[in-house]
Amino acid sequence: MRRAGEGFHQQRVDTVKSSQVTVENVSKSFGDFFALQNASLTIANGGFYSLLGPSGCGKTTLLRIIGGFETPSQGDVCFDGVSILSLPPNKRHVNTIFQNYALFPHLTVFENVAFPLRLKKTAAAGIKKAVQENLELVRMETESKKYPRQLSGGQKQRVAIARALINQPRVLLLDEPLSALDAKLRQHMLLELDAIHDKVGITFIYVTHDQAEALSVSDQVCVLNKGEIQQIGSPAEIYESPANEFVARFIGETNYLHGTVAALTDEEHALFESPDYGSFSIYLDKKVQPGSKVALTVRPEKIRIAPQKPDKLPPDVNVLHGTVEDMIYTGFQTKYFIRVSQNKEPLIVFRQHVQYFMDEKPITWKDKVCLWWNSKDSFMVEVSK
Amino acid sequence: MRKNYGPIYVGPVAFWLCAFLSVPLLITLSYSFLEKGLYGGVEPHLSLAAYRSLFNTAVLKVLLNTIIIAVLSTAMMVALALPTAYYIARSPVKNLLLMLIIIPFWTNFLIRIYAWIAILGSNGLINSFLMGAGLTDSPVQFLYNRGAIILVIVYTTIPFAIFPLYSTIEKFDFSLIEAAMDLGASKTVALWKIMIPNIRSGITTAVLFTFIPTFGNFAVPKLVGGTSSWMLGNLIERELNITRNWPLASSMSVVLTSVTMLAVLFFMRSQNKKESSR
Amino acid sequence: MNKPGKFSFGVFLFVTLFLHIPLAILVITSFNSSKSMRWEGFSLKWYHELFYNSGPLWHSFWNSIIVAISSSAVATVIGTLGAIGLCWYSFRMKKAIQTLTFFPVILPEIIIGVSILIFFNKIGLNLSLFTVFLAHVTFNIPFVLMTVMARLEEFDFSIVEAAYDLGATELDMLLRVILPISMPGIIAGLLLAITLSLEDFVITFFVAGPGSSTLPLHIFSMIRFGVSPTINALSVVIIVGTALVALSTKNLYSSLLKR
Repeated sequence: MRRAGEGFHQQRVDTVKSSQVTVENVSKSFGDFFALQNASLTIANGGFYSLLGPSGCGKTTLLRIIGGFETPSQGDVCFDGVSILSLPPNKRHVNTIFQNYALFPHLTVFENVAFPLRLKKTAAAGIKKAVQENLELVRMETESKKYPRQLSGGQKQRVAIARALINQPRVLLLDEPLSALDAKLRQHMLLELDAIHDKVGITFIYVTHDQAEALSVSDQVCVLNKGEIQQIGSPAEIYESPANEFVARFIGETNYLHGTVAALTDEEHALFESPDYGSFSIYLDKKVQPGSKVALTVRPEKIRIAPQKPDKLPPDVNVLHGTVEDMIYTGFQTKYFIRVSQNKEPLIVFRQHVQYFMDEKPITWKDKVCLWWNSKDSFMVEVSK
Repeated sequence: MRKNYGPIYVGPVAFWLCAFLSVPLLITLSYSFLEKGLYGGVEPHLSLAAYRSLFNTAVLKVLLNTIIIAVLSTAMMVALALPTAYYIARSPVKNLLLMLIIIPFWTNFLIRIYAWIAILGSNGLINSFLMGAGLTDSPVQFLYNRGAIILVIVYTTIPFAIFPLYSTIEKFDFSLIEAAMDLGASKTVALWKIMIPNIRSGITTAVLFTFIPTFGNFAVPKLVGGTSSWMLGNLIERELNITRNWPLASSMSVVLTSVTMLAVLFFMRSQNKKESSR
Repeated sequence: MNKPGKFSFGVFLFVTLFLHIPLAILVITSFNSSKSMRWEGFSLKWYHELFYNSGPLWHSFWNSIIVAISSSAVATVIGTLGAIGLCWYSFRMKKAIQTLTFFPVILPEIIIGVSILIFFNKIGLNLSLFTVFLAHVTFNIPFVLMTVMARLEEFDFSIVEAAYDLGATELDMLLRVILPISMPGIIAGLLLAITLSLEDFVITFFVAGPGSSTLPLHIFSMIRFGVSPTINALSVVIIVGTALVALSTKNLYSSLLKR
C-alpha cells in the first residue's frame, strides 16, 4: 500500500516542511489523577505514528498536549529539537482532525476549508487556488458548495482533512478520526488516509483505540495504558512480541498457558511445566530464571488443529490434546474453543478455510482433537506473583 | 379502523379559545372600524375615524417612544444576556448559576417594579441618602422618564433573553471553537465567527421574547413612566377606561397586534429558512 | 483552554448583582423601624402591620387563591385533553387549532385584556371574580397544553397502538396509559398555571370588577400611593413563600419524574 505512492511521496518531501516530534518525560495530572506519566517517545519526520490504547489511557491527552490544547504538568515537547511548549496552538504548525470532524455547520465546504486563509486575510485568488488544490487532494472538489449537513460521514472526514492541511502544518494530529464511521467505510478511509499521508509527506500522529487500524497503517505504534507507555514498536513487533500481558491482550485475541519454567535445557530452550497442560520444551524469547512463573502466550491462528495427531510433525512443535467445547463458523474461518484442562479457560484456535471440502467430515462439537504449534510462535510474558 | 377520538379531545380547547379568544379579538377588530358611542361603546356605523386618529401627532409621538424603548431595551437585554448566558453555559456549576438568575424572577412582577421605586423614588433609598448627606435639598426625580422605563423593563424581562441564549449556547459544540483556534483563529475571532452564527436561532428567540413584551408593555410605563414617556399600552388603556373612545382603543390594539404578528412571522421565517437549508 | 474569559464573567456578575440588589434592599428595609428608607433600627412592626392591619390585602389574597386554583384546575383538564388530541390524533382543522393555541402565548397581555373586556361588555357580562376566572382559564390553557405535549412527545405513538393491540378501550387507554405517563407534564402544567394566575396583573387589571381585586391588583394600588414599608414586608413574605413553594414542588416534581 505504502509502496504505491512512494515516488510521489519522495518528490513532495523535498518541498514540504515536516517535523520530527520528540516527547520527553511528559506527565499530566488532573488533581490526584495522572492522565499521563513520564511519557517519552520520538516520532520520525514524515512518519505515520499511532498512539493506541483503551479509552482513558492518556493517548488523547498526549495528542492535546502536542496540539497545544493542554499544557503538561512536566516534561517537554520538541519539534526538530526545539521546544514548542511556550507556543500557542496556532503558532505550532500543527493541525488537528477532530473526532467529530468539527466542521463549521454554517459554512459551505469551500468556506470551511478557506476559513484559516480568511483569518490570515489571504487574497481571494490565492484562497481559491489553495482550497481547490486541497479539495482535489481529498477528491471533494465537486462538493465545494454543499453544507456539512449535506455530506456523508466519509465526505465530512475528507473535508476535515483538507481543512486541516490548508495551513501546511508540519505535523497532523488525528484524534480517533474514523470512530464515527461504520466499519466498511472505516477500512476505506484508512487506505485513503494512508494515501494522503504518502502524498503530503508530513508527520501524522494518529490516536485510536482500534488495534486493527493502528496495525494496518502505522510505521510505529505506541501502546498506552493508564497513562503509561507499555510498548513502542513496529506493528509486527507489537503483535508478534508483546512486551507484557496488557499489550498481548489488547492487540488481538490470544491464549494463555500458565505454568513454571522448570529448567533451562540450552541457550534457547527451556522445559515448561504445568499441572493443566503437562510439560514440554519451549522457545525462550526472553531471559527467565528457572522456577519463575510465566504465562505462555499463543495466538489462535498459530495453533493448528486436526482430528488426530498427524504421523509426521515438524520438529520443535508443542502438542496438546483436547475436546471441542464450542465453535463459531464465520465463513472464512472457524473459531474453536478447545477444552484442554478442566481447570482453565478453553483455548481459542482459528482454522482458516483455505480449502473447504463439503464431503470431508469437519471437526465439530465434542470431537477429540490434537493441537500443535511451532514453539517459536509462542512467547512468554512474566506473571507477577 | 378505530374511531377517531381526536375531535373529542380537542373539542374543549377549541371551544374555549374560540369563545374567549377568537371572538373577542374579532369583536375588537370590528370595533376599530365603527364609530365611537357617546358614553363608551360603539355606534353601528362603518367608519375609518379611529384609524385616522392614529395619525394624530400625539399618538405618533407615543408610537415613536414605544419603538425607541422597545428597540433600546431589546438591544440592551440581548447584549447583556449573551455574555451572561455564555458564562453560565460554560461553567461547571451551571445549574447553580441558572438558579441565581431564576430566583429573583420568582418574585412577583409588581414587587420587582416596586423595588426600583423604593430605590429611585422621591422618598426612595438614593434620595434619602442624597438628602441625608446634604447633597440636595429636594428629592431628585429619577423616575417617570424613558430611562426609568428602560431600566425597569430590562430588570423585569432580561431572563427571557438569558434562557433561550443559554439553551442554544449549552447545545453548541465547543469543539468547533477548538477547531477554529487550531486553524489559527484567536478566541475572540473564533467565538464571533463560529459561535455567533451557530446560535442564531437562540439570538432571534431572545430578541422576540424580549421585544414582544416590551413593545406591548403596560405595567412598567404605568408605574415608573410619566405622561411624556407613555407607551402604546398606556394610550390604549386611557382610550378604553378614561376617554372611552373604544374604536380608537381597538385600532391601537390592532396596530399593536400587527406589529407583534409581524415580529413573529419574521421569526418563524428565519427559523424555517434555517430548517430548510438543513 | 476553553474557559470563559474575564469579560463574560464581568457581565455575568453585573447582571446577577443587578437582579439581586434591589430585592436585597427590599428585604433589609422591611425590618427598618422608620417609615422612610433611612435606617433607624430593627423592627418587625411592618410585618405586624401586614398580618394584623391589612384586611383588604388579605381579601385580595384570598381572591387570588380562589382564581388561581379554580382557573388552573379547569385549564389543566382542558389543556391536557387538548394536548392528547393534538399530539396523537389527526383531524380536520388541527393546524388551525394548533395556531390558535399559540395566540395567548405570543400576544401582548394588554391585547388579551382589552379584547376580553370588550367581549364581556358586548355580551353584557358584569365584571366580577367570575370574569377574572374566565380570562385566567383562557391564558392558562396554552401553557398547560404545551407542557403536557412536551411530555407526551417523549413517547412514541406505538405505546397507544400496543395498548389497543392488547385489548384496551379508549377509556382504558386514557386512564391506564395516557394519564399515568403524562402525569409529570400535567402536574408541571398545573403548577405553571397556578403561578401564572397568581402573578398576572395586566389582564386582571382590565377584567376585574369592584370587590374582585386580586393580590397583584392590590399591590398595584398600594404602589401608586408610593413607598410603603408594608409592601416591603409583603415582598419578603412573597419572596420567601415562592422560594419555599418552588423548592418543595421541585422535589415533588423530580420524584414524580423518577417514577
